[in-house]
Amino acid sequence: MKPLIGVLGASGEVGRVAADRIAAAGLGRLRVGGRDRAKAEKVAQELPLAADAPPVEVQAVDLDDDEALARFCEGCAVVVNCAGPSYRVLDRVARAAWAAGADHVDVGGELVARDALASSADGKRIAIFSAGVMPGLSGLLPRLLAVRPLRRMETYVGGAARFTSISAVDALLTRGDRFGTAQASWVDGAIRPNVLGPLRNVVLPGFPQPMQALPFLTTEAQELPAREVRAYNVFASDRIPAALTQAWAELPVGASAEELRPYAPDVVSAADSDVDEYGAFYVLLVSARPEPGGPPGPGRVVMRATDSYALSGVVMAAAARAVLEGTLVPGSHLAAEALDPFAVAEILRADPLVHELTVV
Amino acid sequence: MSSTPAAPATPETSPETVPDEDRLEVRLARIWAALLDLDPDRVPTDVSFLEMGGDSVLSVRLSAQVRAATSVQLALADVRVEITLDELAALVRRRSSDAPSARDLPAQITPRADATAEFSLLPLQQGYFVGQQDGWELSYESAHYYLDYGLIGVDGDDAPEALADAVARLAEHQPTLRARITPDGRQRLLPLDAPGAVPPVQVLDLRDREPQDVAKELGDLRQAMSSRGPDPVNASALDVRLTLLPGGEGRLHLGMSLLVFDGWSAGAMNRDLLAFLADWNAVLPALEIDFGDYVSALDGLQTSEAWLADRDWWWARLDTLPQPPALPLIADPHDVAPVTMGNREHRWSDERWSAVRAQCSERGVTPSTAMLTAFSVVLARWSGHHRLLLNSLQLNRLPLHPDVHRIVGAFAATMFLPVDLTPGSTFAELATGAQTRSGEYIAHNLISGVEVGRELARRRGTRRPVGPIVFQSVLGVDAAMGGRTSTDAGPLGETNVTDYSHQLRTPQVALELRCFEIGDQVVTVFSLVDELFEADQVTRAFDEFIAIVDALAEPAGWSAIPELPEDSEPSNPADGELRLGLLPEAASATHTGPLEDDLEMTVAEVFEDLLEVPVLDRGADFFALGGDSLLAVRAVTRLARALGTTVPVRDFLADPTVAGVALMVRAAR
Repeated sequence: MKPLIGVLGASGEVGRVAADRIAAAGLGRLRVGGRDRAKAEKVAQELPLAADAPPVEVQAVDLDDDEALARFCEGCAVVVNCAGPSYRVLDRVARAAWAAGADHVDVGGELVARDALASSADGKRIAIFSAGVMPGLSGLLPRLLAVRPLRRMETYVGGAARFTSISAVDALLTRGDRFGTAQASWVDGAIRPNVLGPLRNVVLPGFPQPMQALPFLTTEAQELPAREVRAYNVFASDRIPAALTQAWAELPVGASAEELRPYAPDVVSAADSDVDEYGAFYVLLVSARPEPGGPPGPGRVVMRATDSYALSGVVMAAAARAVLEGTLVPGSHLAAEALDPFAVAEILRADPLVHELTVV
Repeated sequence: MSSTPAAPATPETSPETVPDEDRLEVRLARIWAALLDLDPDRVPTDVSFLEMGGDSVLSVRLSAQVRAATSVQLALADVRVEITLDELAALVRRRSSDAPSARDLPAQITPRADATAEFSLLPLQQGYFVGQQDGWELSYESAHYYLDYGLIGVDGDDAPEALADAVARLAEHQPTLRARITPDGRQRLLPLDAPGAVPPVQVLDLRDREPQDVAKELGDLRQAMSSRGPDPVNASALDVRLTLLPGGEGRLHLGMSLLVFDGWSAGAMNRDLLAFLADWNAVLPALEIDFGDYVSALDGLQTSEAWLADRDWWWARLDTLPQPPALPLIADPHDVAPVTMGNREHRWSDERWSAVRAQCSERGVTPSTAMLTAFSVVLARWSGHHRLLLNSLQLNRLPLHPDVHRIVGAFAATMFLPVDLTPGSTFAELATGAQTRSGEYIAHNLISGVEVGRELARRRGTRRPVGPIVFQSVLGVDAAMGGRTSTDAGPLGETNVTDYSHQLRTPQVALELRCFEIGDQVVTVFSLVDELFEADQVTRAFDEFIAIVDALAEPAGWSAIPELPEDSEPSNPADGELRLGLLPEAASATHTGPLEDDLEMTVAEVFEDLLEVPVLDRGADFFALGGDSLLAVRAVTRLARALGTTVPVRDFLADPTVAGVALMVRAAR
């Protein structure tokens, strides 16, 4: 019998696409769960199942309900959690999955969740956190260029995309050294602070217009295989950075989601204005320079898509496939470090949501 | 970006006596110190907020606290993380200055703490500097003005020493005489006691020579000084020579680098020099500021709203500006290597010119505008179209200080001026229209023609000069400077300024009309690159010009309807025909993709260092990335240091992409 794959948060944008791609690839039987049963049912009905595929199970699951969570994980080979917000979920679903003997894939989590879960590793189960676009692809695709020793690597990720209020709060929470350091670069294994300024109206390969690039050395970027790393969050205008900065200026570092929530509408409306003005687009650009005298090789990755939420679903499905294929080492990992960048790139290239993925 | 905070803030010399703790810099330093956790007495004033640990979040708090402390509201976009304490103080001052007028000049001038410190070149100086590196077609190894004039009743024994003494006193009075340009395109004023600070004076004694020898020697000297100007990178920008001639006569020869002195300066300098010559004990009113103070005051201008408003004004007009006059050429400017420019010259007597001036003032038109209009009419006929783009040289010294007009220096700027001559109009109508339009354009002069020209060239996709036809008039300057210059030159006798000879060399100019006053006379000159034009056509155009201006002494000249071409735009040149503004562009290869090899990476890194932006594509263009021609000269210097290969500046400018420059390096090896 084919393995059972449980997709949580299936009625959201990420979950819907993840379930769709898992079904289309015929990776296994599906169980979908969401807070709202009716919405989850609707997703289940629209899945592109093979004619002989068993019916899709649907469960209503409230992530705060331990019993419901345990029931959902029961019998799964892998639990694919697309629900957020990440700051509240942390490793909660992962623990439930491991307790039920299932492997786990999570769209969020970052270092906080990975490290929290690591102490519970039993040498058998796998958990993959941050298996979305950013973090996720933003750390994985640069590794396509790591075929020779690299002196410098830069990543530019962003575009114009709408924010939900949940994702706006998540964005407001990405502050503090568990996430990254603004204006810093990574040189010879250490953070070099206060060296990079914002780039205004910068022309970047793959981006359709001049962009605003803000240096933010994520913890993910600090693991990239190059002597020097620069990482930029890229926006179509100053609106979103200004909204985030205003909130951060008024609150101390470490402010809670509840304290930040009142600022979310400004972030959402900034993002809406960007999309209204420029249209939706999302680009991930990686540029690398080899050590002098190094062998020839690729120096640039460009991935273009319309938005990152749906694309995260594709990445989640790819992560689930990697887990099921049995090629991953047991333990608690981040997607960027655990997945095979070349295998994921092949999946992305075949996906209609990806307009371009080139390595040159 | 990597310099470390070093010296504590040194309070600048400030004319007002404000208690230290109340000075704006000190109050701002306290705010910085609190935000960045620094010792308030040790906040450097020239290191960026970013480098000291500030970020965008702290910069929002910074503006809030500045508002609380000074009641000055700063726009968030103004308080960037790259701002230094000095820049912040200047910003607060600009925002807090009360009594805002319609055109408040957003700059404050104060003497610099270190009068010998380097400062940047103004845009036109940059243009001359790059021209001097053979950066463009129509370049010369020096951009300079040469002038000599007659002296009568020279005391040949005392004159040399008197002249040297006067020049030394002039160099003390006017620090610009001690200017040097640095090899990477900056400038500074040497202290008075530095070696070579005072321009040297050379004397050629021909008193005992035969007339034919005298003529030959004088001719040789003129030729030498015309074809080789002073080089302010290595020596004085002013070359002073005195020839002593038989019969108590003499000549004073002046070579002036345009990198250091503009047209106004030539007059001001001559006036001061004569004052010192005439009186051993002359003391001129001390100048409170120098050229470096002026340029430094302009530094903050480019982030001001006034500057941005002027830039937007120009940018909105660029796409509708006409073409330069499509004059027929006999050679491609790219292929000629002129050494000196040719001259056609005409003088009007005092009486004749007084009549012209009277007619001008009756119609509310300045004599300069009358000249401009006559020049435009001639150009329209010559080129076959009546909408034309001219480049004008403006002596626009911003009135930041009462001394500004007494200082010598390279203040001048160019300004593009479109001309639209409606056929069927009277000359008076054309002149009135030109007067109105000039006024409108001059009102937006915070952004210079050099900067506008760069953008225009970018939009038109051309690497050729976009404003090769120039108009320059300094009519009325003598009056503005306090009447006519004295003719008393002390031991050098009396000046006879109507007995003069001169020569101008400016880069990127095909043809220039200059109008100026010498004594009682008004002089107009066509300076041109002879190699480009059919001599007969130049002569005809010049004669037409003189006839039109001369007729303006009578009302009939103003009511005349000049014959003009019906076409507003130039027609396409026939095969093989060369016309100004319609010349073929060098085909530039299109490069694209990631950097390909170590050489391209080295080039990219030089670009990045100079421009402070990432260079990610081999097709990235130095100018599109924010570079200008001055930075291009610096890039060439850096590349030479990094690679041991010097790319000619002109080659760099021909394909200023990473891949293009890398190709040039390979070719030069």
